[in-house]
Amino acid sequence: MEEQEIITTLKILIIGESGVGKSSLLLRFTEDTFDPEQAATIGVDFKVKTLTVEGNKTKLAIWDTAGQERFRTLTPSYYRGAQGVILVYDVSSKQSFNKLDAWLNELETFSTKHDMVKMLVGNKIDRANHEVTKDEGLKFARKHHMLFIEASAKTNDGVQCAFEELVEKIIQTPGLWETSSKNLTLSNHGPEGQGQSCYCVL
Amino acid sequence: MSTAVEKEKRLMSSKRISTIEDEADVFEITDFTTASDWERFIARLEEILHEWKLVNHEPRAPAMKDLYATGTWAERTEEVVFADFRFTFTYYFLKINEVTASNVNSKKEEVEELDEDHKTPTVFFDLMNFENDFPSRSHFLCRWYGLQEFFTLTPVSEKQLIEGESKTKLLLSSASIAFGNSNCSIPVFIQLQQKWRKLFTGTSLVRGASIEFEMSHLRRLPSQFCHLAGLLDVFKSKLGCVYISMPPVSVSVRFTYILKDWFHSAWPQMPPDFTSICDGEVGYGDINILPFGACSDPISELHLSCTWPCLSEDMIVENSLYSDLDPLQAPQWTVSLQMADDLSCLLGEFLRDFLKLCDRLESTDEVLKKVSAENDGDKNAEISHALQRLTEPVPALSSIPSLGNVMSSASSRIKLKPEEAPIPEAILDKILYFLFPDARVPRSHSGGRLPTKNKRKESIVSTASESLTSSASEHATDEERKPDEEKIADALAELNKQLKSAPIESLTHKLSLALCNVNKNFGGLLGVAHLWQEFILEMRFRWENKHLISGIEKGTPNMGSCLLHQKLQMLNCCIECKIKRESVGYGYGPDSQNIYDQSLEDMKDLPDGLSAKEMKRLSKTASLLNSSDDDEEFFECHENDEGEGAGGGEDDVDAGEKRNGDEFVTSNSLEVTGVKPEGQDNDKHTRGAKKSASENSSEKSVFLDSFTHRPEGRLVAMKNVFLLSTGEQLFIPVTQEPSPMTEDMLEEHAEVLAKLGSSAEGSQIRARMQSACLVSDMESFKAANPGCFLEDFVRWYSPRDYVIDSEDGQTNDEMVGDSSDVEQNAGSCVARRGHLSQRMQIPGNMWVEAWQSAKPVPARRQKRLFDDTKEAEKVLHYLASMKPAEVVLHLMPCVVHAAIAKLINEAVEARVPNVKNIIDKVIANAAKVTRNFPLDKKKYFDLLRQLEIAESVTARTTSLRSKFTNDPLSTPEQEGKEEEIESFVTALLSQGEVLVKGGACGPAGANIHKMFIAAQRASNMILDDEETVDELADKTNPISHQDRINHLKRTIQNLPSPSSDVRSSSSCSDFPAPSSREYILRAMVPRPAPYSKVLPQRMYCILGEGENRLAGAFTSDSTFQ
Repeated sequence: MEEQEIITTLKILIIGESGVGKSSLLLRFTEDTFDPEQAATIGVDFKVKTLTVEGNKTKLAIWDTAGQERFRTLTPSYYRGAQGVILVYDVSSKQSFNKLDAWLNELETFSTKHDMVKMLVGNKIDRANHEVTKDEGLKFARKHHMLFIEASAKTNDGVQCAFEELVEKIIQTPGLWETSSKNLTLSNHGPEGQGQSCYCVL
Repeated sequence: MSTAVEKEKRLMSSKRISTIEDEADVFEITDFTTASDWERFIARLEEILHEWKLVNHEPRAPAMKDLYATGTWAERTEEVVFADFRFTFTYYFLKINEVTASNVNSKKEEVEELDEDHKTPTVFFDLMNFENDFPSRSHFLCRWYGLQEFFTLTPVSEKQLIEGESKTKLLLSSASIAFGNSNCSIPVFIQLQQKWRKLFTGTSLVRGASIEFEMSHLRRLPSQFCHLAGLLDVFKSKLGCVYISMPPVSVSVRFTYILKDWFHSAWPQMPPDFTSICDGEVGYGDINILPFGACSDPISELHLSCTWPCLSEDMIVENSLYSDLDPLQAPQWTVSLQMADDLSCLLGEFLRDFLKLCDRLESTDEVLKKVSAENDGDKNAEISHALQRLTEPVPALSSIPSLGNVMSSASSRIKLKPEEAPIPEAILDKILYFLFPDARVPRSHSGGRLPTKNKRKESIVSTASESLTSSASEHATDEERKPDEEKIADALAELNKQLKSAPIESLTHKLSLALCNVNKNFGGLLGVAHLWQEFILEMRFRWENKHLISGIEKGTPNMGSCLLHQKLQMLNCCIECKIKRESVGYGYGPDSQNIYDQSLEDMKDLPDGLSAKEMKRLSKTASLLNSSDDDEEFFECHENDEGEGAGGGEDDVDAGEKRNGDEFVTSNSLEVTGVKPEGQDNDKHTRGAKKSASENSSEKSVFLDSFTHRPEGRLVAMKNVFLLSTGEQLFIPVTQEPSPMTEDMLEEHAEVLAKLGSSAEGSQIRARMQSACLVSDMESFKAANPGCFLEDFVRWYSPRDYVIDSEDGQTNDEMVGDSSDVEQNAGSCVARRGHLSQRMQIPGNMWVEAWQSAKPVPARRQKRLFDDTKEAEKVLHYLASMKPAEVVLHLMPCVVHAAIAKLINEAVEARVPNVKNIIDKVIANAAKVTRNFPLDKKKYFDLLRQLEIAESVTARTTSLRSKFTNDPLSTPEQEGKEEEIESFVTALLSQGEVLVKGGACGPAGANIHKMFIAAQRASNMILDDEETVDELADKTNPISHQDRINHLKRTIQNLPSPSSDVRSSSSCSDFPAPSSREYILRAMVPRPAPYSKVLPQRMYCILGEGENRLAGAFTSDSTFQ
């Protein structure tokens, strides 16, 4: 299994309002650490990680973007060719949740793959003062045909699961990605969540 | 025979694991060591039958009506060996889709046949099944014997033939043994003789009976057998018993007539006149039009089959003297079409020729050099020029329209001697005006490349322009008339969305069409290279002379369009930028607002802003620009600038006043005198700061600066937000827009970023690389808000990083980091309301760092983030270095786009059945291919193939429809039946064989009848007397299309209608001799002895030219013989 070939490279985007913890989620996923002093991203940042989902080893090229309004003239150009997107909001900030529609709009405008897999992540659930309930998140995800999970980069809740779920979904979407070799073991996990949201429960 | 079977059964018993029958000798030792080739062959056949699960299998239900033609057939193949003779063993069978239906059927049968010992085997049903006589498409064995499942055993090699009685018998008996052992009643056929003869012999073992399938294939049949009576004799004698009590043989007959000549309707497609572009009569609007359609009639033959299904032999007579079988009386008419095989389609060929250029490796220069005047002096000049280019410092080359550049364009223009140029000058002009319609309008600037050239050809151009507009308007009205307008519009909209090409009226689009046309009509590759060179010259001309490229939409490059289009958009951005930059001095009007206004406004103070006005200072400005790469020198340059052109400075202020309104006015007077030295001050301060090791001191100096300078470059006030230090209104500054990028630039950029890797250092460098924009914004902000802090900036830029405190007083304790120090020093009273988020306070983070290094400089005096000069030169270089092959490939998306648009229009207009489906498929494939990068010419060839198929389908539709709905055919009695004919035509296009409703009497049938009559009369040279001369003249030198139609109309209208007595009036029959006659004879007759069981017997006969075949299936009782 160790020597298994990488079947494909997937481009994943992380977007969302500034300060919702996009970079922290990425850091938690790639290096399994949490840095409370994570600097605000300038422009875009980039990390690579290989992930084995259902026996398929994939290389993830993850693009982390700055959430600031001003950077938004710059960052969407990196949306091109992404197969998956993680849209993050902060459960302790209603405002970051309310902006989700705008983000989806932007995604619609600039992404090149229209069947890209979208995942909604409600971050910072370790915090006490929740302004957005899980139900609201679920509703939004269902409405926009997204995957949904609540997570915390700080306590490492749901982070790994979120990325794995996203990758699995991409692998299951035919035509979304190109295989680099043939030894693909596609699980027959089925299209149970096809076209609608499916949830991973914490 | 039976003993052999017994022996074999024993031999094989151990092999048959699944179905051990009631044989007790399981424990007997069996010996395969001496098995012969023959035994092994049989064993292998049995093994395959087991593998395919065809042993003991349930009989199938009789096939339903027309299922043979409409159902799906499948086959399975294995290879078997008999000694050194290899065979392919194939099982053909009709797939049963409706599982439920067949289940119901078989259940019924079970109920019916429970009393009997066995069920009727499939093959018996098939032989007597009347529902699938003459299927329109199926395996020939199926057609001849009416079987829904059978095996064939054919030699693999073409050279090995099965000839001779003994070989045949050996194989047949081997097969019988294998099938008998497996209890499989499916017929098996063995191919004899050469493959093309399709000669088979076969057998089938049914419980209690066996069927022999025999066949004879003759070039010529004795004349006494060439009719039904003779064939009946053959059939009866074959049955071997002539009884008085023999039941009548049932007969199905089909006669097929072929119509090859369409005398009443000429092929309607007029080949486009490719020469029209040359003679100047038709305008260059032609460039816009792609050819479409087939060169020849795509429908070569119409086959009319007249069928008499299952008659009793007593009811019809056909012998050598008399025939009851009059096609007009046939109860069933079916029609099928034979399409022309190697149909050449205009559009397909046109595009293919263009795409073929991709294989040419020559560069544009190489192509053109071949024809260029081989003048020594010229050559030298060329070389020296090239050298000069190499040695020229890059920035200078890329900055200013120097005289050298202009000369180079001029010289390369001359390179082709007019008489050697592949595109004649007049036509080249037309094409260029087609591409750049705005060139016709005299430009305000003197340097119009096209207008100067054109003066002597004014008249031509004006006529050409008229024709263009007229053709355009015609086109528009055409569109309005179309009933399927909506359909077309939908499809076109879909097309625009799906393809990665360029908008339909864009320059890129036009260029692709023009190059296509040039390739076809003016020298192929050479012509393409020529036009491409002209195009590049025009591009450079426009850049250097600041004319926006017409037909390219403004704005940042649209990544949804093809790369070449993006490049042109980029160039347009650069030109626009340059215009704004250089025309500021003239008081550029505010009416030309667009997204670059800001950045241009920002740049109006740039030193080279003056260059537009004072051409003599060109060189100086160039040097200024070069140096502007370096920040330090930037302001020194500015000093220079100020000294020289104070007037220019004034103008700047005026322009600024107009734009920015009130807040600018207040500081206007100070702007010129006060601010610029201030800039210098700043500069000195920062330089000083950089030298000093202490961060704190630099911070302070910046802070001091920020207090002393005047606010500049304010865009708009931010509502209810005030500076923390002074309590003044916070202003959002005018900022530089990020540079437009084409997709390849972006990719390059992303790649560079990605290459830095995942490490923390990588991230750091990445952030630094992208911080130019942030620093620029910070500088603008500082300039607009004197005395501001990072906190102020953050409140505008990243509001979530400014945390509003719930309670006053506690803020200061929480604050850490450099910036808070400053804040406390300055005005802590205002700062209490909030603090920076934790991450903004990290010592040495990029934001703080950038803030400290940022000087208060308004956007318009900052270093340009977007260097239009550099980018424009990059684009121009990119274009110039493209080989014709690359140009072709890069334009393919547009070409395909145009072709599909054409196809949609034509196909919808031609009312191609299932048009939506066809078009959708083409679009889906095109979307995939055009989005693929790098561009793959092989995929484009495939795409063109698909387009060609769609084109030929359209051509067929047009052809067929015109044949059936042509004017000469319409008679008063036909009126009101158009709909029926219409549906008939549609069916004919989508199905293989179509039943003619009402046979000869129906509207479609009547039309077909007329066609045959016309063809017959023409082929027999029966002419109406007064028209003889015309007709002959017609044949020798064809006159115009319309005349011909009129003539035919007269001819056909003179014909008697089919209902009247035709045959009596003319000397020939309405129909030619049938091309083939098919008979199926069936009977239930006991065989071989009169006391045998009554069993199905069948014989199929086809009589045609060079193909006479009798195929009989004769069943004999194996019990009572």
